[in-house]
Amino acid sequence: MTTNDAIWLSGMDKSAGQNDSADVLKQLTDSALGLLAGLDRAPKSLRIKADQVEIEVAWPEVEVVAAAPAPVAAAVATAEAARSADTGTGQFFVAHTVGVFYRSHEPGAKPFVDAGDVVMPGQQIGIIEAMKLMIPVEADAPARIVEVLVADGGAVEYGDKLYAIEPVDS
Amino acid sequence: MFGKVLIANRGEIALRVARACRELGVDTVAVYSTVDRDSAVVRYADEAVHIGPGPSKRSYLNMPALIASALRTGADAIHPGYGFLSENPYFAEVCAANGITFIGPPADVIARLGDKVAARTLMAQAGVPMLPGSLRPLATVSEAKAVVDEIGFPVIIKAAAGGGGRGMSVVHGEAEFARAYRETKAAAQALFGDGRVYVERYLEKARHVEIQILADTHGNVIQLGERDCSAQRRHQKLVEETPAPGLPDRVRDAMGKAAVRGARSVGYVGAGTFEFLVDETGAFYFMEVNCRIQVEHPVTEMVTGVDLVQEQIRIAAGERLRYRQQDVALRGAAVECRINVEDPNRGFAPSPGVLEEFVPAAGPFVRVDTHGYQGYKVPADYDSLLAKVVVWAPDRAQALDRMARALEEFRISGRGVRTTSAFLGELIANPVFRRGEHTTSIVDDVIAARSTWTPVVLKAA
Repeated sequence: MTTNDAIWLSGMDKSAGQNDSADVLKQLTDSALGLLAGLDRAPKSLRIKADQVEIEVAWPEVEVVAAAPAPVAAAVATAEAARSADTGTGQFFVAHTVGVFYRSHEPGAKPFVDAGDVVMPGQQIGIIEAMKLMIPVEADAPARIVEVLVADGGAVEYGDKLYAIEPVDS
Repeated sequence: MFGKVLIANRGEIALRVARACRELGVDTVAVYSTVDRDSAVVRYADEAVHIGPGPSKRSYLNMPALIASALRTGADAIHPGYGFLSENPYFAEVCAANGITFIGPPADVIARLGDKVAARTLMAQAGVPMLPGSLRPLATVSEAKAVVDEIGFPVIIKAAAGGGGRGMSVVHGEAEFARAYRETKAAAQALFGDGRVYVERYLEKARHVEIQILADTHGNVIQLGERDCSAQRRHQKLVEETPAPGLPDRVRDAMGKAAVRGARSVGYVGAGTFEFLVDETGAFYFMEVNCRIQVEHPVTEMVTGVDLVQEQIRIAAGERLRYRQQDVALRGAAVECRINVEDPNRGFAPSPGVLEEFVPAAGPFVRVDTHGYQGYKVPADYDSLLAKVVVWAPDRAQALDRMARALEEFRISGRGVRTTSAFLGELIANPVFRRGEHTTSIVDDVIAARSTWTPVVLKAA
């Protein structure tokens, strides 16, 4: 079990072929942006595959103008925002295991973090209980909590978004 | 009967188990890693839970994630399929501790049979025939040498914790022995975290024949005939069939009785397989017990009409076996070919990719168990089994004709995707195989005889 129980979602989707060359990625991005530029209505999703590389994007309509000229990282981060639809910047701390999510040490206690708080790498932001193991969830990047996405005691799966965040200078 | 079963596996077997559950009216929960999110079983099951990233250690081998998934979905039982946690006694125990039924033998039975040395001792006590060799792990090279001096070369060195054809090496003479002993020990330590090894006589000309058994929690044990799995490459089975060609009835009966006796002696419960080697005189020797459903179980289903996965689930739910030994009748012949995404022309290197074309074989008496579909991206993270083609016919010759037809029909293509399909066609057309006179060396012989065979040239990166 790693100590990092939250991951920083930015750049391309972690599940895409992360070992593939930057060239292929760039070509794909260019084709994605080119394709989008040619559309007069923002797509709800866009999925491009080339060999091992795969990008899935779901643009929110309002973001298209901003996203189109942006580099890869911004474009796909925006795509994350679109999937959850109700959050702003599109960056999240996500669950690193399946289980029950707790926001505080014990029922009724003060939550580890709340909207507006700034967290530092290594800071505990929750607990996931799996098989009676209480696994601490820690931030692995400096960030401001924008929104708490899972209620205390809520069931989560691997990859579920726990907090919407925005980057802060460390 | 259970209300809901969680399937702690992936690929074709996860789908196979889900189908058995559906026929039994049991709800299913699939679990999947990130790379398997578009898999067939995720689409098929009633519910699906994302349990982790691609690497098995963090997904399909991740016990807390699996148990948490079962608890949150309210599953009363977990079917482990084959591989992954299917023969892990600790997992069986953890399931029980969380009030979930593990569909398989009791944890202590898995533990005793999973240790190959302990299993040899137990089976020897139950009167199951054994190859000469050590009945306990060997601590030093000289201790191992002392056993070899007694039994003679060639010998096979095996990991006590081994399985799936890994962690074993054949030694033909004294000169290689010390090195092979050290290498196997190191490999066993690396693969299984357990460096204990043992030695037994190696049979050059042997057939791999295994007996399928079913045992319930009420003390009933039956055997459902044999499967011949002699067509293997590096201890990985490629073609399996039943009945074993040329196996005398008296040997078949004796093997079946030995398996039932062995199963009773250890309190076995569930579906299990007793693996034996059979030499040219018809003498048979115990190899190991597999405490799980096996990849090749469909050939037994084809000739017996018994759905082994359904029976496994019924047994785990506490039901009595619905068949007595005299109810088990073996009819006709069945053959299974394993279609792997591997390139036979490049040393069977894995060749995954997107299946642009995927048209399974069909027609009379053909069964295809697969998780493949057109557009499916075969992940590189797991084993290479893509489909099992199984056929039935009144006799072996007709079954092989039917298999040849089915393999020709099966169309699989995609960029970079290669399969073993054509190679399997050559294998079953081989005259020695066709006559049923082959042994475990058949695959190497066919590879050596291939005119198209080219050695793998690895370029430096």
